[in-house]
Amino acid sequence: MRNEQDVNRAIEQYSNLVRRLCMIHLKNYADTEDIFQTVFLKYALSSVSFENKEYEKSWFIRVTINACKDLLKSFFHSRTTSLNQVMEQAAYLPPDHREVLEAVLSLPKKYRDIVYLYYYEEYTAPEISSILGKNVNTVYTLLTRSKNLLREKLGGDGYEI
Amino acid sequence: MKYRLKETFDQIKAEEELKNRTKVFVSEKIQNDTSSKAGTAGRSIRRLAPVFVCMAILLIGSYWLYFTPAWQISIDINPSIEISMNRLNKVISVKSYNEDGAELADLLDVKYKNYAEAICQILENDDIAALLSNDEILMIGVIGNDETQSSKILADIESLAEGKKNTYCYCVHSDEVSEAHKMGLSYGKYKAFLDLRALDPDITADDMRDMTMREIQDLIDELSGSQDNAAEKTGDTDSNTHHHTGKKHRNSYKGGE
Repeated sequence: MRNEQDVNRAIEQYSNLVRRLCMIHLKNYADTEDIFQTVFLKYALSSVSFENKEYEKSWFIRVTINACKDLLKSFFHSRTTSLNQVMEQAAYLPPDHREVLEAVLSLPKKYRDIVYLYYYEEYTAPEISSILGKNVNTVYTLLTRSKNLLREKLGGDGYEI
Repeated sequence: MKYRLKETFDQIKAEEELKNRTKVFVSEKIQNDTSSKAGTAGRSIRRLAPVFVCMAILLIGSYWLYFTPAWQISIDINPSIEISMNRLNKVISVKSYNEDGAELADLLDVKYKNYAEAICQILENDDIAALLSNDEILMIGVIGNDETQSSKILADIESLAEGKKNTYCYCVHSDEVSEAHKMGLSYGKYKAFLDLRALDPDITADDMRDMTMREIQDLIDELSGSQDNAAEKTGDTDSNTHHHTGKKHRNSYKGGE
């Protein structure tokens, strides 16, 4: 079990990461709060020691994604959510960013993590494959398809992928 | 597009309120978990206390049973030692009664072994073998409270010592040994001392502490010889002048050659 100081440090360091992953998976703020509690409590109770910060970060990514999936799979959870409902969470964003976020959230769920990890966290395909436990070739395929889909939604001209 | 994605995700940040609520939640959970674990540990300890007490009694009892001497073997040649055995006939201590005895005790590796192995090690010891071949006398005494058990052990030791030159075995009750120990003598030496003092009242335990059993026996023979001569002169012959130490006791001897 970790001490409070260590947990608070992790919350400060990884809460934005967890929040972004929640944003691309979950439909409301209450679920986000659940995930925050689940992830950081798991960290507090875990005795796993990390070789370095990169291992710790990938642990948080993996645990957050799994927690989101578990929450969405739960029996009592509503199965259908419109994109508009999801976007209510991002009402504070400027229109340009809302457009980009909408494009990401309109992607099939299996593409969203890869897009986030590749474009924002700047992981390579082999690193993503290791974090998500997917085959590297599968990651490359998903990346290619998600680039095409995003290009369609956001327009190809003047946008480097 | 990469930059737009980056900029967009940069806008998404965990709210301070969310972070604070998470900190409070986790902190409370940790404290509850710690206190419930402490409570569980406390309850477990209380529940298991009788088991621990029983185990402690069992351990102390076993220790006491194992390390309480039940009987001894006294070895005298010049090295004089006494080996203490527990109820399981395992050696629990080796005590020396003179310098030679201390040297012999150091050479022996008999602790926690059966007494028969201890006797074999002593009989096979090079120094003991050399002393016996020089016509020295080895006395092996069984000291115990239980006459039946002592007789059985004596028989075992006799069979182990069979064929050894100048080796004599006897058994004696523990009550008779305390006086020997008060004088700082092993029982074999003490018995020889009693025989010697009967012939020469001036002799002390210190005089004979480092004498070999052969030297003591020769002295006994010499003194009893002179007394015999004196008795013959006076016509009063003692027919019991054989002093293979302690024959007056309820001893059993096994003579070599």
